[in-house]
Amino acid sequence: MSCNQCDKPYKRGSLPGASAPLAMSYVPMQDSAAPAYEPSEALARGTLFPGLDLPFMNSVNENVADVPTAELMAINFVVDELELYLDTHADDSEAFQLYQSFLALKEEAHRRYVERYGVICQNDLLGKNAYTWLRDPWPWEFPGRRES
Amino acid sequence: MFVYEKKLQYPVRIKNPNPKLAKFIISQYGGPDGELGASLRYLSQRYSMPYPELKGLLTDIGTEELGHLEMIGTIVYQLTRDMNADDVKKAGLDAYFVDHTAGVYPTAASGFPWSAASMAVKGDVIADLSEDLAAEQKARVTYDNILRLSDDPDVNNVIRFLREREVVHYQRFGEGLRLATEKMNEKNFYAVNPAFDR
Repeated sequence: MSCNQCDKPYKRGSLPGASAPLAMSYVPMQDSAAPAYEPSEALARGTLFPGLDLPFMNSVNENVADVPTAELMAINFVVDELELYLDTHADDSEAFQLYQSFLALKEEAHRRYVERYGVICQNDLLGKNAYTWLRDPWPWEFPGRRES
Repeated sequence: MFVYEKKLQYPVRIKNPNPKLAKFIISQYGGPDGELGASLRYLSQRYSMPYPELKGLLTDIGTEELGHLEMIGTIVYQLTRDMNADDVKKAGLDAYFVDHTAGVYPTAASGFPWSAASMAVKGDVIADLSEDLAAEQKARVTYDNILRLSDDPDVNNVIRFLREREVVHYQRFGEGLRLATEKMNEKNFYAVNPAFDR
C-alpha cells in the first residue's frame, strides 16, 4: 500500500493471542483514545479519532457551517465520542480523565451559550422571568426566515 | 426517558433549496437503512442484552441516531422550503407532494413507507450485533451513494459527517461483539444464548 498513514500505530488495533477464533467475526480493539483531534476539527471530520477517520473518495470537511451553536456542538461532540469509546473501554483511565475535562468544558460552554443566545433545555429556564422556550429559532429552521 | 436539547448534533444550513435532492435524501429518514430504523433497532435491542457494555453502547448509539434522524429531517425541510407547485412538478416531487405536501414523512426514496421489516431484533447477542455491524455498513453505502448524486456543498458537508459516524459505530459494535465473546464459552460461542439461557 502506498498510504503514508497505514504504518501509524494508532491506525492499528489489537487481536487476542496469535490468531482469532473461527466462526466469529472480529474487529480489532482500538488501543487508545490518543491521538485525538481538537474539538472543532473532530466535529468537521465526524470523529475524534484520526485512526477511524476514513473518508469517501478522500473528500473531507475543512470546516462546519458558522452557527452560534458551533462551539457548543464541537465540545458536546467530543463528549459523545468519548462516551462511545468508554462504553467499550470502561477501564481506560486516561480516556476517563479526558472525558472529565470535557464534561467541565461542556458545562461551561452550555452556560455561555444560554447567557448569549437563549435556552437549550427547558431546565435552563430556572430563574428566568418568562417562558422563552417557544422563541425561534428551532434547530431545523434556516436562519433569517420568518415563521408565521 | 429522553430530554430534548434545542440544537442539532451538527449544523445544517442549506443555502439553496433543491427539492430534487430531498427526493432521495429522504431515504435516510424513512428508508430501509435510514436513521429511524437505526434508532429503533438499537433502542429496541437493548432490553435483552445481558452485558452492561452492550446495554450502554446500544443506548448511546441509539440516542445519537435519533439526533441523526433530526438532522436528515432538517436537510429535507430546508431543501423543500419556499417551494411552489411549479417547483414541485419540475423536481418530480409530485407523487410525494400529493400525499404529504411539504411535510417530512418517513419514506424510502422509492416511495415505500418506513417499515419495521427493514430492521431486526433477534434477542440473541451474536445475531443482533452482527445485524448492527451490517446496518452500519448499509447506512455508510447509502451516504456514499448520496455523495455520488448530490453536488450541493452544504448538503454534502453534513452527509460526510453522518457517513463517518457509521464508520465509528461499526468499530464500536465490533468491539462490543469482542467483549461479548470474551464472556461466552470460548470452546463454543454458540452453546447457549446468554440473552435467554441464564
